[in-house]
Amino acid sequence: MLSKRALRVAIATAAATTTLFLTGCTQEELSSAILMPLPASSIGVTNHTDSITNLWNISWAVLWGVGAISWGLMFWAIIVYRRRKGDTHLPAQMRYNNPIEVMFTVVPLILVIGFFAFTARDMKVIETPNNPEVTVQVIGKQWSWDFNYTNENVYESGIQAQYNNTKTFDESTLPTLYLPVNKRVELILNSRDVDHSFWVIQFLYKKDTLPGKTNHEYFTPTKIGDYRGKCAELCGEFHSMMLFNVKVVSQADYEKHIADLKAAGQVGQLSLDASRNQNLPGVVAPVENKG
Amino acid sequence: MATATISPSTPVVPRDKGRILVDWLTTTDHKKIGYLYLITSFIYFLIGGVMALMIRAQLTMPGLEIVGSKEQYNQLFTMHGTIMLLMFATPLFAAFANILMPVQIGAPDVAFPRLNAIAYWFYFFGSLIAVAGFFTPQGAASFGWFAYVPLSTSTFSPGIGGDLWVFGLALSGFGTIMGGVNFITTILTLRAPGMTMFRMPVFVWNTLVTSILVIMCFPPLAAALFALGADRKFGSHIFDPANGGAMLWQHLFWFFGHPEVYILALPFFGIISEIMPVFSRKPIFGYKTLIYATIAIAALSMTVWAHHMYVTGQVLLPFFAFTTMLIAVPTGVKVFNWIGTMWRGSVSFETPMLWSLGFLTTFIFGGLTGVILSSPTLDFSLSDSYFVVAHFHYVIFGTVVFAMFAGIFFWYPKMTGKMLNERLGKIQFWLLFVGFHGTFLVQHWLGVEGMARRYATYLPGDGFTFLNEVSTVGSVILALSFLPFLWNVYITHRKGVKVTVNDPWGYGRSLEWATASPFPRHNFTSIPVIRSEAPAFDLNHPEASDSVATKKTAKKA
Amino acid sequence: MRTNARLFWLLAVFYLLAAVGYATVGLWEPYRGLSDEGPSLGNLKVEIIGTAAILMLSIMSAFIAFYLGKTHRTQGPVPEDNPQAKISDGDSEIGFFNPWSWWPFFLGLFGACVFLSLAVGWWLFFIGFPLAIVALVGFVFENSRGQHAH
Repeated sequence: MLSKRALRVAIATAAATTTLFLTGCTQEELSSAILMPLPASSIGVTNHTDSITNLWNISWAVLWGVGAISWGLMFWAIIVYRRRKGDTHLPAQMRYNNPIEVMFTVVPLILVIGFFAFTARDMKVIETPNNPEVTVQVIGKQWSWDFNYTNENVYESGIQAQYNNTKTFDESTLPTLYLPVNKRVELILNSRDVDHSFWVIQFLYKKDTLPGKTNHEYFTPTKIGDYRGKCAELCGEFHSMMLFNVKVVSQADYEKHIADLKAAGQVGQLSLDASRNQNLPGVVAPVENKG
Repeated sequence: MATATISPSTPVVPRDKGRILVDWLTTTDHKKIGYLYLITSFIYFLIGGVMALMIRAQLTMPGLEIVGSKEQYNQLFTMHGTIMLLMFATPLFAAFANILMPVQIGAPDVAFPRLNAIAYWFYFFGSLIAVAGFFTPQGAASFGWFAYVPLSTSTFSPGIGGDLWVFGLALSGFGTIMGGVNFITTILTLRAPGMTMFRMPVFVWNTLVTSILVIMCFPPLAAALFALGADRKFGSHIFDPANGGAMLWQHLFWFFGHPEVYILALPFFGIISEIMPVFSRKPIFGYKTLIYATIAIAALSMTVWAHHMYVTGQVLLPFFAFTTMLIAVPTGVKVFNWIGTMWRGSVSFETPMLWSLGFLTTFIFGGLTGVILSSPTLDFSLSDSYFVVAHFHYVIFGTVVFAMFAGIFFWYPKMTGKMLNERLGKIQFWLLFVGFHGTFLVQHWLGVEGMARRYATYLPGDGFTFLNEVSTVGSVILALSFLPFLWNVYITHRKGVKVTVNDPWGYGRSLEWATASPFPRHNFTSIPVIRSEAPAFDLNHPEASDSVATKKTAKKA
Repeated sequence: MRTNARLFWLLAVFYLLAAVGYATVGLWEPYRGLSDEGPSLGNLKVEIIGTAAILMLSIMSAFIAFYLGKTHRTQGPVPEDNPQAKISDGDSEIGFFNPWSWWPFFLGLFGACVFLSLAVGWWLFFIGFPLAIVALVGFVFENSRGQHAH
């Protein structure tokens, strides 16, 4: 067995080396998160998903390492230092060991500071306004979504998921948000009544719709496809049926959808006045029908 | 000056049931009040557990209608959360603190025995009021245990169930605050001679720090609840959306809600810190750094609340991300201190130690997922999904329930004078361990794949069905693990062998192991001299005692 | 007692720094979520709810720390803080601990009536409130009555 001093030096060196190694790793070297991968359907979907996925993968690599060390030490202790049958001795009553304690305080602190730095960098990029080309106002309500395509002056009003039988929903009745691929999108998020949350699973992002406040979401969809959306804030009895779809389509298909909405007579914008919560700012009671 | 000489040979006169009831209703003895808390909170644990089983049954497959309506499903998870957090885990802290803390510092009782009793009765009645909602026609509160406005206002959740919830919790919260004040005063003023602050057992330090957290965070909860109650019943507009009410509630609630989870964790960390040294036959490793880490966790915990609000778009993300990530550091220090306690020790695996190791295994993983959630970048996709549900069950259940059973098995001889059956305890442990991980491990993947929390059902096309089936099977095993425990308590009561020594485990360290089993009425007939943080151990094992850390090499057996 | 006063001073200072940091973190990154009409320090928008809350924590801790410090100075050295103390150094009589009492139960019961009445109706309040006052007064003066009356 190594002498205590040598052992301490070895552990400190190993910890320092591992830390330096990990901070220097690139995305390829620490590829997909072992045992905890993000959904494959989220790869390359928006301009943010790559950076989120990278951070996820690197974080899990480091965390599994920390876990391996912790569990490893724990299992080592309970196997190697177990009390054998018939043993009556008292082990050395060690109460502290300053170098080791300093190490297991400082090393996690360094890891945490590194993690914060990466997080802050990515967070800033995700939350910064992006000079949008397409703006959609998303209004959450009990229990569905209204989409106002502000530049095109058309709207779509959703209803909650309708049951086919007791086991399945008729997914064709869910409201669908159409977005053109590779265009900068801003979503303006509002609520008619209680808190809701606009969550598109494959975009790896959600943001709440709060009554009395306006939230914004900025991204560029980069992959054509159909994506699932859910409400992610408890909003009452039919919270689980407040589902929606997002279709990212080519510019041509997007314009065709806008034309379809115009043809269906859904021209104009659904205002926030028609809100169930009469205490919202700007709402004048009694609510009048505006054309 | 109510002293009584109790000798072991004094015969106990059997009393009629009425006398016994009066005894329990009028008790001011901290131990009896602790037992009241323990039994009441355990009953709520079982009730909350039954609700959890109903939730799991409903979610086994898509489209089930086990629960009558979605509104009732909302009531189930709202009350499951409320009961588990505020009627089981928080009073359980009061239970262990009451039973143990005065004895561990060498005091005859707490500083304010009658206030102690008031605190219990406020908890008892307040909890009854809050769950009484189930007996009303419109049912119990159904707006989630965090009661976000405007959903929890009378516009969107009319019905007396919500009102009962608000005022019942306000009453119960006052009880908790009184308990906190009592514990702090006791620790500050009733320590035995020689019991300096840095010789107190780790459990007592954790009780002190937890009680400080209680007096800091429960008053904002009481204020927020009264404001919500005023909005619901008396027509005020405190939480109007026009006044920024939605965010005001969230800030106030989570300012309470986050320290609350540390109130739940810290005392149970203290229990583990008491048990591990006993079964490793070594002192707790790094006592002082452990205390500083606990204080750091508590101080930081008051500054991290908005990590529950990252997706509102209304909070200072960098501030909260940084403080939340920082909390991982002292928590890690504690984990390594526990491992260091076992290192080079002589570890045996009686049931309390088994539970402690179960805690450590589970908590490490819960801590890792917590670090992931602390990053807003990663939390944006995971917030309000089953990943969060999995995380908090790992940390809360892993800490509270595992440490609760560890503490019950460990201190059972002190409380009742008998030891619980070891074999049944081990069967219970393994069933619970397998059941718990079977239920909650898969929920991490469910969350990552996009299963939202608080959903009564999901689509077959979501692809969540298989993992939900696994989770439900796990929950059944978890539920079954309670049967050996209840059987254990019953047969020990009936035919358990009475313990005759002060320290049946052999290597007890703190003062409760220097007095009789069960506890005498006023805790001690005599207190040994206190020269370290392990006075009973010093008394019973003079060959190992010293006041300076020694690093003698152990003789291999 | 001195250690305890120090603990609370530590918390008071920490929370003061945290409050200042929280109020000014908008300097690091523009705080887009806050409305423009909200409170601000010059150009810097301040999240007032959290700032006020953390500041109050600091004041509360300072309050307690000050009181504990004063108590320590008045009290002088006590046997529980003396590392070499013998058990016999402590007071032989610590104080009066009620062996039992009915008042906590009744205060709990009638206090619960009062809280329940806020949810259920004013009629219960008028029943419960006087009873709760009786219980409260009874509880407070329990040890000053009967054979202990002065």
